[in-house]
Amino acid sequence: MSKQKIMFSPITRLSGLLSTEIILENNQVREANISSTMFRGYEWIMLNRHATDAVYMTQRICGICSLAHGAVASYLLDEMYDHDLSENAQYLRNIMLGADFLQNHIRHFYLFSLPDFVQMPDKPPFHGQSLTDARLNPQDNQRLVEHYFEAVKASQESHQILALFGGKAPHQHSFVHGGVTVAPTADKINQALSLLRNVSEFVQKCLMPDTELIARVYNDYFQIGVTPCRLLSFGLFRFGEKNEKFLWKGGVLEDNQLTFPQIGLVKEDITRAWYEKEKCEVYGLEPDPYKPEGYTWVKAVRYDGKPFEVGPLVRMIINGKYNGGTSTMDRIFARSLETLLITELMEKWLKQLQPSPPPLNQKEIPVKSSATGVTDAMRGALIHSATLEGEEVSRYNVITPTVWNFSPKDQYGQRGPVENALVGTIIPRPEMLFTVLGRIIRSFDPCMACATHILDCQGNLQDKVVI
Amino acid sequence: MEKKEFTKLCSQLKSEEPHDLSKAILPIVADYRRKRRKKKLPVIWLETNDSGDNNIAFMNTTYPYLGEVFQEMIDLLYSNTFMAAQGPEALYILEEAVSKKRGKFILVVEGAIPTKDNGLYNIVIQTPNRSITALEAVRWLGQAAKHVVAIGTCASFGGPTAARPNITGSVGVRDVLDRQVINVSGCPVNPDWFVGTLAHLLMYGEPELDKLGRPLLFYEFTVHRHCQRRSYFDNQEFAEELGDIECMFSQGCMGPRTSSDCPYRLWINHVSWPVKANTPCIGCTNEDFPDGSTPFFTPLPKKSSQKKPGQKGEENE
Repeated sequence: MSKQKIMFSPITRLSGLLSTEIILENNQVREANISSTMFRGYEWIMLNRHATDAVYMTQRICGICSLAHGAVASYLLDEMYDHDLSENAQYLRNIMLGADFLQNHIRHFYLFSLPDFVQMPDKPPFHGQSLTDARLNPQDNQRLVEHYFEAVKASQESHQILALFGGKAPHQHSFVHGGVTVAPTADKINQALSLLRNVSEFVQKCLMPDTELIARVYNDYFQIGVTPCRLLSFGLFRFGEKNEKFLWKGGVLEDNQLTFPQIGLVKEDITRAWYEKEKCEVYGLEPDPYKPEGYTWVKAVRYDGKPFEVGPLVRMIINGKYNGGTSTMDRIFARSLETLLITELMEKWLKQLQPSPPPLNQKEIPVKSSATGVTDAMRGALIHSATLEGEEVSRYNVITPTVWNFSPKDQYGQRGPVENALVGTIIPRPEMLFTVLGRIIRSFDPCMACATHILDCQGNLQDKVVI
Repeated sequence: MEKKEFTKLCSQLKSEEPHDLSKAILPIVADYRRKRRKKKLPVIWLETNDSGDNNIAFMNTTYPYLGEVFQEMIDLLYSNTFMAAQGPEALYILEEAVSKKRGKFILVVEGAIPTKDNGLYNIVIQTPNRSITALEAVRWLGQAAKHVVAIGTCASFGGPTAARPNITGSVGVRDVLDRQVINVSGCPVNPDWFVGTLAHLLMYGEPELDKLGRPLLFYEFTVHRHCQRRSYFDNQEFAEELGDIECMFSQGCMGPRTSSDCPYRLWINHVSWPVKANTPCIGCTNEDFPDGSTPFFTPLPKKSSQKKPGQKGEENE
């Protein structure tokens, strides 16, 4: 059978816009070019703004993982201004960040991923679903459809925990450099605990059993969409006066060897991305949507020259909480497991939080003109790096998890994790093509709003981060 | 319910519970539809260049919750975020919806529209032969829609996507369409503003708009006018730092020149808003957000936007 070139676009049920071109031969995916088709130039937007604008500005990179950007920008500014974080600030920040993880993971599983496995009612917005491989029995199917709508409430309540302290969500206001501007009063703590109990109950009674059911019924997906086992995490939930401790540790896992991530080994490549090396004063790069060999706005980010996968599965494996492979279903399963663990942590933190005035101590003048902040976001490793002139930003770099997972090919033709997961996939029947591809791609929880990033060609990242 | 009563409900400042409006909307719409045998609003939702925060904000709607909005108020015919269909079948659904519901559907646009380089900075759908840019799609759908609603500040006015230096030449929907656009601005939108606007469109057609195209129902007054900390301002008691309980004007608050009902509408099931979190309002519903609001923590008279004469933006009070 001859080679077929197929365009899968739009890939719906995700944040932002995504397409992929597929080369199919003898019912097998031979090549995949994954393409993020939106560009906002966020690093240019950060230029010449006051350093302390970074938290609110960079949250607007992404609507679904907003606080991950706010948090890492806060860590960055904490280092620049040499802040000391009180214990209450540490707990409160992680409670808020945890709440944003809960809404993300619950929404991803039910609103985005579920229609890949469950037959939804044939009315808008689910009409024309064409699920070509529905396997659940009618009772189970109906129960999961009902859980879709219960998930709407559970994810809203997760965001309500964030808004209780943060003023609003997405794009909260109180988690800023130097701590948190809101007083954790007894009534707020109790309201948060009560909301959290609802969310925990949902996670225990719906999300976990539903994940197990789908993993059982679609267990062939433990062999589909497998990536090379090269995993990277910067760690998650920073504690300590100087944000120096990570509750979940970061690491680089390759060939069964676990090492600490060295930020200096992170490099980017624009061979197949829509950028040109032109004279751009700050970044040495210009966007070029006409570049013939380009097929995406995402650059190829590499660690020590190699592509790495990031995300909840990576965090769970590196922290010894999940023992499995790197397939489509492993990614889905690990994300649900992480959701459960976060609800347990948040309850603990809420009980350790002491009613107090706002745990905030902001200093006026930066003592460092350059810093790099890292954390894991919902989808994996996230870097913000900035240089100041006085108190104004002269350079701001963002490398998001999307850039790792949705990376295009580099100058050596190495594929990124999503492309690797797609290539080699066997499509049992032609009409199943998009169903199978959609399941694999969504297991990475795509967020293309986050694909906006730049790293200058000459300069590298600051290699001073303690992990 | 008569339009007059509905308007009163939207703009009431005081009620037993802050979610009286959102609680009331669903029964009002259901009753209206039953009595007049009206169908749900057909909606085509186009995501363009933004952070995706407005679809998340929409998921956060309470009373009615998202499922109830789908059930009683709208038929969401196309939405990159919610639709079950994918790939060429999604494009087919879009084309079919446009031809069958021409002149009847509501176009909701989420995100700014890049115009530089023929709009190639945002491609909404790729086919084997061509790329459909946001610019092309919004023009195509915009001329076929009954009403066009821009959700969020990017779609309304360009917002953070069009912030300086705006290397993608992004603009609000109104700048690429030769027709009235209903701007439900906010970064993100408050779901009440959006769901309330949908309810008005369903029952009474286009709501009364301010000079920036925003429904007066929600944007008639400044944040400053109804702020709980207004008495501190009037007594000249200003916060010394973030986290204080006094007036946030000293910390960069944009309330005096920002129109929205945040102080009494509140956010996420109506629990809080930025000033209640001891931080300034950053004017996210404004035409010149974010450039007119930065540096965020610098008092209004000293912000960068105030240094440049002729900058867009109004002085309300």
